[in-house]
Amino acid sequence: MAEIKYQTKPLDIWNEGKALRQQYYENYAKAHEKGGIRWAGGAWAYSAVPAGLGDDVWSLTGEPYGASVAFDKKFAARCHEAIEAKGFARDLCAYLRNYLGSIVLDEYVFGGKFPKPDFQWTTHICCSHAKWYQIASELEGGTPLFCIDVSTGLYQDFDERRREYVVNQLLDGINWLEKITGRDYDDEKLIQAVYNECEATSLWAEICAMNKTIPAPLDEKTMYSLYVFGTIMKHRPEAVAFYRKLRDEVQVRVDNKIAAVGNEQRRVITDTQPPWGFLEVFRYLESYGVVSVGSLYTFSLIGAWEVKDDGTWGPKTTPQEQGIDITTRRQALEILADWTHARPEWQHFYSAQKKSDMMLRIVREWQVDGVLLHYNRGCEGLSLNIAENRLAFKEAGVPVLPFEGNMGDEREFDLERTKKAVDSFLELLGVK
Amino acid sequence: MFDKFKEWYTNRHDYAKDWKKRKGGKVLGYFCTYVPEELLVAADILPVRILGSHEAQDVTEPHIFGMFCPFCRDCLAQGLKGRYDYINGIMISQSCLHIRQTYNSWVKHIPQEFSYYLYMPHGVQTPHAYPFLHGELEVFKNALEKWIGHPISDKDIDRGIEIVNKNRQLMKQVYEFRKQEEPPLTGLEAMYMVVSSQMVDKEEHNRALEEVLKELPNRKLNRNTGTRLMILGSEDDDTEFVEMLESLDSTLVVDDHCTGTRYFWNEVEPQEDRLAAIAARYIDRPPCPSKDWPERKRFPHILQLAKDYNVQGALVIQQKFCDPHELDMPALRKMLEENGIPTYFLEFDVTVPIGQFKTRVEAFLETFALPDLF
Amino acid sequence: MITAGIDFGAKNVKMVILDDGKIAGRGSTLTGFDLKIAVKDASEMALKAAKLKLDEIAHITETGIGQGSVEFAADSVSEVGANAKAGVKLLPSARTIIDVGAEEARAVKCDESGDMKDFVVNERCAAGAGAFVEAMSRALEVELEQMGPMSLKATEAVPMNAQCTVFAESEVVSLIHAQTPKPNIARAIHDAIAERVISMVRRLGITEDILLVGGLAYDVGFVDAMKRGLGVEVHVPEFPEYVSAYGAALIAQERAKE
Repeated sequence: MAEIKYQTKPLDIWNEGKALRQQYYENYAKAHEKGGIRWAGGAWAYSAVPAGLGDDVWSLTGEPYGASVAFDKKFAARCHEAIEAKGFARDLCAYLRNYLGSIVLDEYVFGGKFPKPDFQWTTHICCSHAKWYQIASELEGGTPLFCIDVSTGLYQDFDERRREYVVNQLLDGINWLEKITGRDYDDEKLIQAVYNECEATSLWAEICAMNKTIPAPLDEKTMYSLYVFGTIMKHRPEAVAFYRKLRDEVQVRVDNKIAAVGNEQRRVITDTQPPWGFLEVFRYLESYGVVSVGSLYTFSLIGAWEVKDDGTWGPKTTPQEQGIDITTRRQALEILADWTHARPEWQHFYSAQKKSDMMLRIVREWQVDGVLLHYNRGCEGLSLNIAENRLAFKEAGVPVLPFEGNMGDEREFDLERTKKAVDSFLELLGVK
Repeated sequence: MFDKFKEWYTNRHDYAKDWKKRKGGKVLGYFCTYVPEELLVAADILPVRILGSHEAQDVTEPHIFGMFCPFCRDCLAQGLKGRYDYINGIMISQSCLHIRQTYNSWVKHIPQEFSYYLYMPHGVQTPHAYPFLHGELEVFKNALEKWIGHPISDKDIDRGIEIVNKNRQLMKQVYEFRKQEEPPLTGLEAMYMVVSSQMVDKEEHNRALEEVLKELPNRKLNRNTGTRLMILGSEDDDTEFVEMLESLDSTLVVDDHCTGTRYFWNEVEPQEDRLAAIAARYIDRPPCPSKDWPERKRFPHILQLAKDYNVQGALVIQQKFCDPHELDMPALRKMLEENGIPTYFLEFDVTVPIGQFKTRVEAFLETFALPDLF
Repeated sequence: MITAGIDFGAKNVKMVILDDGKIAGRGSTLTGFDLKIAVKDASEMALKAAKLKLDEIAHITETGIGQGSVEFAADSVSEVGANAKAGVKLLPSARTIIDVGAEEARAVKCDESGDMKDFVVNERCAAGAGAFVEAMSRALEVELEQMGPMSLKATEAVPMNAQCTVFAESEVVSLIHAQTPKPNIARAIHDAIAERVISMVRRLGITEDILLVGGLAYDVGFVDAMKRGLGVEVHVPEFPEYVSAYGAALIAQERAKE
């Protein structure tokens, strides 16, 4: 066991985050009681756009919901059974099965009946996104559905013409939102939501960048609970306020060398969503002083990044920091589309090399000693190119441990086998 | 009379190598039938769809995660084994994640003088997809011109459209014969016909089709048609399976496969703006399930096929782990069954356990014979 | 100095005792349900062979699936770590050691001192190796020991789905129904497993020399399939199923000296 070298303490903001998340799911469930609107869709949906319908519009994003179900293994198993009984294959996206299973069971993982949305609003980048809500809509008896195709390719190719494709869909989407909700659309609210989203996602990147420090002020297991606001409410003022506070607290930890894990002696990163029901794997690693300091997934699922003047990765400069005054609906949507399509986690849908390059950058800049790759049977989108990434690490001489599992279906994760593989990896890193 | 197609299919690599020698042109390997072949034909390039060989192999595990579909693995294996060493370039038109993985690994490990990822939109139901794809085709055309070293004229494109359209028309005419009470061709023969058109010179393929069409009206097959089946699903060139199926008193009369009708069903409708015309053809074609949202436009099309071809039952097959089809299947089977068409599901791998599948299909076919007992 | 290594496999528990680095005794017993009994039986057998008592052993290192179940073990090592150490001792030029047991396959790449450089284990879908041959021997009604020699008499290579044993099993049944000669089926079974294992090893890269260990290395049909599939020489040590236990004993020796 590795010796304790650094002082450590829990995050002051922890309970506040917990309460905020709980409040959010409750707001969604109870939206109708106060005349509000509920919508459902992917965590990558353009959530700032429905915000123009009013402040009482709440969303249920499918992936974080699916992850919440995964924590409750018994409920997850019932969801899987329910949806498999409807004829859906068990190798489909595990979040999708957790979510659709909840509809079939008519149970909300946070208690009560499944709160049916008023409409579905989503983006489509992996093979499952739009299909997921197409099926949800059918299971719910025909909830209105709007899907935005965002498969426009690498950000380096995202020129005006390609941006127009996305913006025009969003403009159609706004007309559609007005039609199905009967509400007037408020561009001011959209503009504010765009500012919020840019700031919140940039702040998250700033927080992740602080983890370049040794000892790491945050461990990935903790970061999982923190990035979630970017997946459920990235456009809301509460998310901005929370991340500002968190950024300040993490800065204090950096300044005072307060570690996430006191015995940090080796730093690793991971890839793709973890097997949510088995985060104890991280604790097992930590018992040998091995700390996961993040991943391309945790950093950039929502985080907005850019290459800074010194060539390293840092938080993307927001429109407000650039002094851009957003005045029209179209301008807001153009800025939002550009911001969204720059997302690092979207680039790997098109290029294995791009993903390997980004991960190797993280290895260098975050001073990483090894990589754990979760061959995630629950998500083909984020496992795309993972074997090629492994080869790239090998070529670069970075120790790498692939382990197989599933983010949301415990039937496909073997804890003992994984621990055994981790043992071999710990020997390889020279800590066991 | 369908032997030519079978021969092309079986000796696809020899054919392409010989074509290169004869014509001195470039061969472009491609993934997914959303690739605009009109532009390739216009550029005197031979488009060859990369397909698997249905053999076990041990070379793709370092590159592809185990839960990706057997087809994408089988395709990459062909590349890694050097079987497509004669191609000059490789391209993909954006479709499912799995075949994208194959493309990504291919460009990384099998060097090519030309490689291209065409951003084919998924949102084929939004009107904005037309100008988007139009723009993508312009970018692609520029890339092609740069590669071949000369411009592609409107006249070239017209020729490309004409040749590819003709191929579609002729194959559709052949399919018409399958509507007959005693179809003069088997499903296996139709499969050889369509799949071979994805790998040989379209003009040569057209000539062979014209020959077939001359003889088909008088052709009689010395076999019982039996139960009229349709086969639905993703990529399928499992000829061994189809041969077994049609040995069991049944005939495949139509399909919805990307190695079947989805590939050739609709034509380019001529417009002054050629690229806009081509774009519209690919946006409007019978969709792959990965692009069939928010509405399910594929289903009414399938039902229409079932009616037109007097289908009694449907085999719903899928490549193991193929998510887009898995996401359609429960609703598709429900739709067909509600319309009086029983369905049977089979999961395909690189090779299929033919004996076991035979037993299962026999049982399915027996259900059609039952009412006669009473 | 006397040290020992004990290896829990899916099927057998194996123990190797070293006296100043030389093998003094071996013991093996079925893993069974009660791990404690299996440990007791295997260790008694090895101690008897070595003419030693348990308290005469200076350091015991365990490896395998049941780690933590040996009360008298001082510490543990992973199977790949143990295989690397033992493999290079048995064949100094070995750089890749492939271990194929009843359920799992794994491979390790190592340097000249037997230190692990990289490793792989099979994916879930590719599980089942020795146990698969055993089940198929029952389906073919052939003695397990005869499966290897019989497959060498095959006249034709029959292709079989290699990705998943469940699928492969139904293919074997199809082949039996099609009255395929048993030697050809036996070869197809060995080829299918070899192909899965080689697929996995390719993730590491094939670095010679290659040493094949684990229970399935006794099967001449499997070794032949591995040689054909890899296209290079495959070395098999004496007592291949004891290699992990031997490696653990060698590591015990290093650790006892520290």
